[in-house]
Amino acid sequence: MSLDLIEPILFGLLALTIVGAGLGVVLADRITTSALLMAFTFLNMAGMFVLLGAETVAAFQILIYVGAITVLILYGVMFTPQAPRAYGLFFQKQTTVGAVVAALAALPVMVIAFAFRDTGSIPPRGGDLVPLASSIFTDFAFPFEVASVLLLAAMIGAIVLVKRE
Amino acid sequence: MTTLVPLGAFIALSAALFFIGVAGVLVRRNAIVILMCVELMLNATNLAFVAFSRRLGLIDERGSVFVVFVFVVAAAEVAVGLAIILAAYRNRPTVDVDEVREMKG
Amino acid sequence: MVPGPFDIDPLVWLVLRLLIAVVLTLVLILVGSMVLIYLERKVQATMQDRIGPYHVGPFGLLQTFADALKLIAKEDFRASQTDAAFFIVAPALVFSPMLASFVVIPFAPGIVGADLNIGLLYLATLGSMGVLGIVIAGWASNNKYSLVGGLRSAGQLISYEVPGILSLVTAVLVVGSLSMVHIAESQPGPITNVFIIPLAFVTYFISALAETNRIPFDLPEAESELVAGYLTEYSGMRWGTMLALTEYGNVTIVCAIMSTLWFGGWQGPGVDSGPITGPVLGVLWFTLKTYAFILVFMWIRATLPRMRIDQLMSFCWKILIPLTLLNLAVTATLLIAFPETKVPVAIANWILLGAFVVGVPLIQQRRLRKLRERSRARTLGAAVAG
Repeated sequence: MSLDLIEPILFGLLALTIVGAGLGVVLADRITTSALLMAFTFLNMAGMFVLLGAETVAAFQILIYVGAITVLILYGVMFTPQAPRAYGLFFQKQTTVGAVVAALAALPVMVIAFAFRDTGSIPPRGGDLVPLASSIFTDFAFPFEVASVLLLAAMIGAIVLVKRE
Repeated sequence: MTTLVPLGAFIALSAALFFIGVAGVLVRRNAIVILMCVELMLNATNLAFVAFSRRLGLIDERGSVFVVFVFVVAAAEVAVGLAIILAAYRNRPTVDVDEVREMKG
Repeated sequence: MVPGPFDIDPLVWLVLRLLIAVVLTLVLILVGSMVLIYLERKVQATMQDRIGPYHVGPFGLLQTFADALKLIAKEDFRASQTDAAFFIVAPALVFSPMLASFVVIPFAPGIVGADLNIGLLYLATLGSMGVLGIVIAGWASNNKYSLVGGLRSAGQLISYEVPGILSLVTAVLVVGSLSMVHIAESQPGPITNVFIIPLAFVTYFISALAETNRIPFDLPEAESELVAGYLTEYSGMRWGTMLALTEYGNVTIVCAIMSTLWFGGWQGPGVDSGPITGPVLGVLWFTLKTYAFILVFMWIRATLPRMRIDQLMSFCWKILIPLTLLNLAVTATLLIAFPETKVPVAIANWILLGAFVVGVPLIQQRRLRKLRERSRARTLGAAVAG
């Protein structure tokens, strides 16, 4: 087994765990198991980003998703305690229809997805830190400022919504 | 020279994860699990953006720039979504989306 | 692919190198934590005018070894209603990010695990991953006090990440690179970064104290608060991993970051003097600087009282974060306005540091005086009325 195949092997492993953990989020019995499997999906997605050569995005993914959003969701779970049975797999009325429609829509999309071809050139070396940083602060400086205003609005909105009178 | 994984494989994986998220939103009854499945969908689109950006030889990493903005929007959305769920929970102690049916009270 | 010694197959040598590196890092952390626990007890004893451990081994040097043996031999029990999988996984979730952080720290010129070009971002990311393990530990213990302690600790950690990362970003602005190796190499000579951005150093020092749960910010894990918070149900080696190893590993990492970013890391006289003596001297300087900061951490532990949770949160959000944001804005503006020299940045930073050191106690004194007057007026009014 030569080292040439290491990228497809890693891709296969990561893809299997991502799909498995995603299915686990949807089908898990308890909500904390769903939350931890979601965090596991995020970690493997960060690994996928590193495989593509975008390591800055991978670091941001772990910092934001695993470090903040998962903790936020766990806080939400712990502040809404319910009877243990109520966390379970209660399905909505449209379960069978919904699952079938999602599966049927997924298959043609996945088949078409394989038709995308890359240009065949080797991806640029050196990672994505410098191009990403120079793009954000020169070409996309205005969306960057708008994003910070969006975060401020979300923070104020969340605080106002949960304030006790 | 290592053999590269074809671009289509990344996009197919992104599509699979996206539709798993869609199925989760349609199927589950717990509001917080629905929020988690929305995060899965956003992750899938991030993967598609980064894969296209790195593999089609685009300059300036514009796909990754958009991914950073998707991170910001996802974080803001989770915060506000959880605030809404907590506020509704204070009204009636349930997170079951089938229970929150009437518009008043 | 580089073939290994004795002509081992390159793939086998790759896996072997990885295993050797992991084993060496684990040994480093274990021995380092043992040394730090002993050092902490001796330093605290000296400052409290007593002797500390002296029974086991000469000068009590084997005390931590005996403690570790006791912890390993303890009965491993787990309360029956706790969530088995999460209870067992939580110490691993807390320990792993700390273990992974040692990869990017440069110990000497040429001795670094991996020269990542996003080294500092990687360290910040791993610091934020540790919060997840603490929340899981608090929840899995099936104990109200543990849950509240875990949530409080997580709240403190994520609040103090913000000024910490902003201080690191200020240092990165001055240096110009995120790679730890490059940061250490960019400070030759006696004028290291601490003379240019001292305020960032002070704010990072404070948020490092909070990030590693040290006094004065150790409310979540103090023994007299919430029955030791999220650690209540953990005993034996689980407690050893979660508390001792992880905390002292984290302390080592933040002190290593401080010494690399602001004091030059392995820089010192004699590091470029040869292929063998150079790295050895580099490791020596790095160890001296890191352990100097660790001793300051222990000194602070022996001296200062503990802050309440609302005091520490209000300090972070109302004082530290505006200050670090201001520092970042001022540094960035001055670096663009005067691209040649770093002297304006240094002047502005020292002025801001002076304002911080003088201003915060003044504000607190004024607030305390106003509070005392208000309460005195209230009791006087109650005495007059009734």
